[in-house]
Amino acid sequence: MAVATISDAVVDELRAICGHDYVFTGRSARFNRARVPAPFPVHRWDEFVPDVVVLPRTAEQVSDVVKLANRARLPVVPRAGGTGLTDGAVPLKHGILVDVKLMNEIKEIDLVDRTVTVGPGINMLKLNEELRKHGVIYPDNPASYPCSLVGGRIGTGGWSLIGGRFGHTRDLVISFEIVLPTGDIIEVGDGGGRKVRKSSTGFQLKHLFMGHQGTLGIVTEATLELVPRPEAEFSAFFTYPDYMTAWESTGALAKSGIATLAGVVLFDERKLDYLRRDDEAYIPQPPEVRAVVATAMYGNADEVRAGAKRLMRIGVETGGNYLGDEISHGDWAARHDRYATPLHGRLRSGQVVPMSWHCEDAAIPYSALPKVREEWHAIADSLIERFEMFDDWGMFAYTNGPYKPWGDYLTEIDIGIWEMRWDDESWAAWVQTKRDISAVALRHGGSITACHGASREGEVDLVPTELGGGFEVMKQIKRTLDPNNVMNPGKYLLDQAYEEGES
Amino acid sequence: MGDGTTSEAQGQTALPPEFVEEWRNAAYNCYSSGHKFCREVCPVMQVTRDERHTPTTFHANVVAMEKGFLTLEDVAEDYVNCTQCGACELRCPNTLFTGDFYRFRTRTVDLVKAMRSLAVENGIEQPGWKEWNALTDRYRNEPVLNGQPSLQENVADWAKGLDLPIGGEAVLFCDCEAAFYRTSLPRAVARILKHVGYEFGLMREQWCCGGPAAEMGYAEQARRFAEHNVADWRAVGAKRILVLDPHDYIAFTEDYPKYFGDELDFEFVLVLELVAELVRDGTLKLTQPVDRVVTYHDACRLNKRKGIYQAPRDILNAIPGLTFKDVDHVTQWSYCSGAGAGFAIERPEVAAEIARRRMEKAAALEIDTLISACAWSERPLTEQGGKREQPIEVMDLMEIVAQSAGLEVG
Repeated sequence: MAVATISDAVVDELRAICGHDYVFTGRSARFNRARVPAPFPVHRWDEFVPDVVVLPRTAEQVSDVVKLANRARLPVVPRAGGTGLTDGAVPLKHGILVDVKLMNEIKEIDLVDRTVTVGPGINMLKLNEELRKHGVIYPDNPASYPCSLVGGRIGTGGWSLIGGRFGHTRDLVISFEIVLPTGDIIEVGDGGGRKVRKSSTGFQLKHLFMGHQGTLGIVTEATLELVPRPEAEFSAFFTYPDYMTAWESTGALAKSGIATLAGVVLFDERKLDYLRRDDEAYIPQPPEVRAVVATAMYGNADEVRAGAKRLMRIGVETGGNYLGDEISHGDWAARHDRYATPLHGRLRSGQVVPMSWHCEDAAIPYSALPKVREEWHAIADSLIERFEMFDDWGMFAYTNGPYKPWGDYLTEIDIGIWEMRWDDESWAAWVQTKRDISAVALRHGGSITACHGASREGEVDLVPTELGGGFEVMKQIKRTLDPNNVMNPGKYLLDQAYEEGES
Repeated sequence: MGDGTTSEAQGQTALPPEFVEEWRNAAYNCYSSGHKFCREVCPVMQVTRDERHTPTTFHANVVAMEKGFLTLEDVAEDYVNCTQCGACELRCPNTLFTGDFYRFRTRTVDLVKAMRSLAVENGIEQPGWKEWNALTDRYRNEPVLNGQPSLQENVADWAKGLDLPIGGEAVLFCDCEAAFYRTSLPRAVARILKHVGYEFGLMREQWCCGGPAAEMGYAEQARRFAEHNVADWRAVGAKRILVLDPHDYIAFTEDYPKYFGDELDFEFVLVLELVAELVRDGTLKLTQPVDRVVTYHDACRLNKRKGIYQAPRDILNAIPGLTFKDVDHVTQWSYCSGAGAGFAIERPEVAAEIARRRMEKAAALEIDTLISACAWSERPLTEQGGKREQPIEVMDLMEIVAQSAGLEVG
């Protein structure tokens, strides 16, 4: 599809659909909906700007916009929070940006069948402010909990910090209404009923329409799981003399079978180095502390109390030193704010500069974590050697399974980037680095991404490798559902589906 | 809502180098975090849900302008969409986690003020603000009387019958809204202070504090008004300025020091804190039971901008007969009346919706009275409270204190 330009007639029609006050053509309105927190080539900002922005309020409006886009052959890019760590919400081919933030109503709280039905523009923290009055919560709890929105969580296939206990977005979203790339509105779930958690009727379409980075439609309503508001929270942080001891301990804790265990997080030695060097909120530990494991439990008080006793015993028996209540509880409570902490990194010379935080999120089997760690740091070191604008902020590994903390791990290497220094050369090197990082993940039996999505420049080149024949199926599905390639074109190499179709 | 700017750039005004120098790092600190925790606490964003109305945009625009992608004409109207309540600054992870070490604090409010000033300097004016500040300049007081002039000769009419002297070591500065509209507030303050024998006087010629002009970008006018007031205080021998409204308190403690530096040798005393002290030390006895079920509205400029939230609660807890249903001050970071920084002048519908939502939260507590400590919040909150099926009355904290001290109110 050619790069779009929008005619006045299209803008008028959008205004007729959405209302005059909900269609924006101004430069600021468009430039400020071009980027997300993922690394962004700021020197090429104008290449990613939508032509027009709409803020619909109903599914019918979204449907009419998408139908118009099909008639006019214009790209449509959905945007919820715009807080994603891949580029799903970035308009690679310009076009009509559909911003769903005004669709943020709570439509139904059903305390009998334990569901809440919402618009895609609502934030989880805001939703829980309403739910907690009823003694329930919606436990989708990513690092971006105070700002990400339900629609984006569905579009990107979100992961929750407490998913080992409560499940991740894909498990917590029971069903939803989605506007397909043709403009048709359908309901998808595990079965027909909006509140049914498991069904064997037909194909399992729910997963198809989650995590597609906006390439298969725009969610306009979702029915979500409610769980009892936990009576008790317990978090424990342990320190270790080296990474391998911490890794062994992580495995023992995760495999403990404690039902209230919500997550285990492993901090590697480079992460500790970074925290010591540059994290103002880090409470100093003796030099022999080289790795940390964090754990958290949720549930009824009697269950958590019993589980905590067992967890503490395992932590200590496997070489951990308990860090104490204050740090454990304080650090866990600050987990959302902490992820945005780094205001700065350092150049090799030691000079402090403001840096953005980039986070890889491969899914890696537990057994492969030590090897992946070594290879990833070597890749980062090589990049830093060549470009001063990057800094290695160490690695985390988080339990990645839903309702169970063992198995594979969301494995994160954090790289600081002085983004004001982007130029074509450094951007190309970065893109190659992302390919290299993804290749390591695949070589060790992992997946490029646990939750952010793999559509970014660089890593996306390895998606066909990861999915094999599945990628061919993806292209066939895309071409079938989106015959005119209007829905978020340019993502996931899916434009190839149309090139092949023409040949 | 409205779009604000058109498809094509209307002008070519780039950021002056000194502006870039001052704001580049702050802008990039926000841009590079990009996590937008500020968004859901923002009273404007909660209503409009428009990404342009966020601190992220306010900062990202600076980056985009420095890189040459946007001009002042493109972005000026974005900065209208802020009540300068300060919630975003508190919720910013950069403030929360790096503040102590680097003495860094995200200063979105100052950025909004600076960008509004730059717009006015470059002839980009918002029609409502232009008229408001022109009228303020003419009357010397803000035009708070819905079309009726707020004339200088009437600035102390509120004090009729109270027999207050002019001048003295302590001078009461009475905010424009309080002096001309909510006169029951300054009358309550005056009666309380007289009741305990606290000596104070009025200014000879009180002009607007200049804070609103500074908030809307009329920097020269703001300074001119400040110079007048300081000269008047000096002329009457004032050493302490008693301040009864949070907006004035911000102007005196944040703007005036920038204008006058060390030469600003006055003590600014927030009346609310003075009264809290008088209650605490037993000088002011609150003996009359007040049979009301109340909640307290944390005024943004006290709670979010100045960290003052305990004193008003201490006062309310000292009033006999009162049922006080409190909501903690952190939850109230996301509350606002919509009345600040001229926002309601340019965006009356959004401001009214902010106030309506605030009163909805209050109504859920099943109260009959909302207590505020900010004159500017009281008019919009009263309007919304009156529209409810179960109307909610709005009182100023000083009014209910006067009542409990057995003093006349009104």
